[in-house]
Amino acid sequence: MRQRYASFLLAHCLRRFNGERTLAAVYHLFSGKKSAQTLQDSKWFQLESFFGTWKDVTMAVLEGAARTLVEQRLAAPGGNRTYRLTGEGRRWLAEQETFFPRHLNGWRYHEAEPLFWQRLSLIGQTLSNLVYGRRFVPICRDERTLQWVKQYLLAKGSRQTLAELFYKELVQLLEAVSEEAAAIFTLRLTSAVRIGWTMEQIAAHLQKDALYVQFQFRNVLHYMMAEAEAGRAPMMAELMSGLAPAVLTQSAQKTYEWLQKGKTVGEIAELRRLRRSTIEDHIVEIAANVPGFSIAPFVDDEKAASIRAAARALKTRRLKEIREALDGKASYFEIRLVLAKEVGRWTN
Amino acid sequence: MDELTKMLRMWFGHDSFRPGQREVAEDVLAGRDVLAVLPTGSGKSLCYQLPAYLLQGSVLIVSPLVSLMEDQVEQLRRRGEKRVIAFHSLLDAEEKWQALASLEAFRFIYASPEMLQSAKFLAALRRVRFSLFVVDEAHCISQWGYDFRPDFLKLGEIRRSLGAPPCLALTATAPPEVQDDIIRTLGMDGARRHIYSVDRPNIALQVEHCSSTEDKAARLADYARRLEGPGIVYFSSRQWAEEMARRLEQCGAGRVAYYHAGMDGEQRLLVQQQFLYGQLDIVCCTSAFGMGVNKENVRFVLHFHMPAQLEAYVQEIGRAGRDGAPSLAVLFYADGDRAIAQAVAEAELLSPHELREWCWRLSEGSGWETAMAALEAAGLTDIQKRLLAYFLEREQRVMPGRLTAETKERLYGKMATAIEARRRWKRKKLQEMDEWVHLSSCRRQALVRAFGEELTDRRDVCCDRCGLSLDGYERAARRPEAAPVRHWREELWDMFFGGGADE
Repeated sequence: MRQRYASFLLAHCLRRFNGERTLAAVYHLFSGKKSAQTLQDSKWFQLESFFGTWKDVTMAVLEGAARTLVEQRLAAPGGNRTYRLTGEGRRWLAEQETFFPRHLNGWRYHEAEPLFWQRLSLIGQTLSNLVYGRRFVPICRDERTLQWVKQYLLAKGSRQTLAELFYKELVQLLEAVSEEAAAIFTLRLTSAVRIGWTMEQIAAHLQKDALYVQFQFRNVLHYMMAEAEAGRAPMMAELMSGLAPAVLTQSAQKTYEWLQKGKTVGEIAELRRLRRSTIEDHIVEIAANVPGFSIAPFVDDEKAASIRAAARALKTRRLKEIREALDGKASYFEIRLVLAKEVGRWTN
Repeated sequence: MDELTKMLRMWFGHDSFRPGQREVAEDVLAGRDVLAVLPTGSGKSLCYQLPAYLLQGSVLIVSPLVSLMEDQVEQLRRRGEKRVIAFHSLLDAEEKWQALASLEAFRFIYASPEMLQSAKFLAALRRVRFSLFVVDEAHCISQWGYDFRPDFLKLGEIRRSLGAPPCLALTATAPPEVQDDIIRTLGMDGARRHIYSVDRPNIALQVEHCSSTEDKAARLADYARRLEGPGIVYFSSRQWAEEMARRLEQCGAGRVAYYHAGMDGEQRLLVQQQFLYGQLDIVCCTSAFGMGVNKENVRFVLHFHMPAQLEAYVQEIGRAGRDGAPSLAVLFYADGDRAIAQAVAEAELLSPHELREWCWRLSEGSGWETAMAALEAAGLTDIQKRLLAYFLEREQRVMPGRLTAETKERLYGKMATAIEARRRWKRKKLQEMDEWVHLSSCRRQALVRAFGEELTDRRDVCCDRCGLSLDGYERAARRPEAAPVRHWREELWDMFFGGGADE
């Protein structure tokens, strides 16, 4: 059972990576590794939505899923531990459309999600028990969340009104997702009459793959957070307070600030006692994420144009191939910068 | 009503003490050092929580398990106690340092032994006036306790550095040699000992000898189907716990879940709470489950694998029948189980070969701190690391200075001897457990004797050797079906408005 959804997820990644990355890249993507390579990969290959959404994934599970795909002739191994989908594999994947978690946005929410869920589930449990007039043991042990929820409820006044608002907003949000996803989400909640179910219990009840259940659940959470940020779910927006994700990693943000003050790459490396290559990673991250950030100071226009042309002609994002096509005249840093900017254009 | 009973009612809402509680509390209030051995489920924490309200100053409680600490804190808070705080590794750093500034404002200060290694934390503690120093699960102090924590050995020193406040050492299981170890280590020579029997008269004891692992699994399923729940089944591995949870559920043993340390924190908490609230009939688990699970009406505890020591067995079966009602403990045994128990127990011990390798790799000419650092890098399990760190520290005191080929050789020799001694001791403990399993006389008698006691009177219901019928433990009727799951809208409605109907 578990293998099936893992195969689906892997097939999706293989299709996007198109033989240009190994299983290790898939592993880093799902586990949310914060390396420059993984961050860029997830953008270039448009897999951001899966970034950090399967934290306990193991190489063994991915290898097993890959074997299954190969056995069913849905994928074929290439060189260097890579895999590509076969024509049949691509057709099969297209048929699985309905299993795709459409609202998933790991790139933006994978860090905020655990705390958001803790707050939501603890507020749900608390309000339910207040309504029922019962004492209870909090379903969360995280001191930060306990404090936050306590402050939040104290500031709110009428519990009855709050419970009604909370209920209405949950219904409104759950109506927008599939019936199954709504059921999964509701079963995860703890109330005065029922302790929430574990993923496995829900999976057994629905006779579905536990991994599938987990992604459906996450799909709902990310949808709620997106609605909150779009201003369409005021209660959820309150639960998001202080959790809204930053566009840049903290370290890249620092580098960005120095750049804006007119420092050069070498100066920033010195100031921050970091390697030059680290600062360059930051600049690539900034180029990919900050619209309007100009890469002109780092790569001249003519060279940028030839990199773009080579990438298009070769239909690849492999740095090495591009560099060879340009007779080694562009550095990896320059190629990455141009590609990062390209991605920015596709997605924004 | 006397003062103590009044306080008991006021703070804890109980009308009377359980056996031992009053005696221990009175000695604590009189400022004496006390060693209290009270069986699981007897309300040990009350022995310091009640005096805390009558003593001037704060109470420091050292506890080995974060989850245990959190349970205590939560219970106190639920009773309305605000002046309680816990320091352990899972706490946010900022939060910790903030609280340190105003430490004396707290009545109950819980700390993990790791936290007590921090000089900054100790400095803050020294500014507080402690009226009582409590060591929970004190058997962890003894190298010969079944759950030895080398960190605990420093507690005597720490106590002295805090001005030697009166000390209360609490544990559920401590044979006489472990009791002596506790008293010596904590420097509480004149301590009063309050030792209550490990015997839990309402728990009947049984051992099922099976012909094979498969036979064991089948008989376990049979028991699980027939016995009145709720119950706990212990396994020595996570895989078995998961596997049997599935099998028991399939064979109609009711609502079954598994629990082990490999699950994430939320899923673990959900299973624990479901069990507490009666949403589960059986939990299949490793030894990670139980401490801090205060469920009164557990009707049976089964062991699919035997523990490596009687102490562990007594702890685990002690989770049955806290309400005093008749309960059952069954241990399933098949050939080969002894070897499994031995492998689990000795996993913490490096082989002489591994130890030699490790010692050789230490670079000569460097100080002891490199040896400590090498521990981190060696890819050892936590428990192996803890044990080696303890041996290292001991040798460092005897042989200060830099590491040479000679000291390395001596170090290897000493550590190998210490590990061997521990291995021999573990084998002896396992032997004792094994003998108990194969006993032909009264099991209860043998159990209490292992803890240096004698049975004073015969029980009506005792053990399979004295004759035991399972009739009284069987389920009278079919287990009620789990409440049906309704449409999510109804579930959600019920969550927020269902309570209004009966008000």
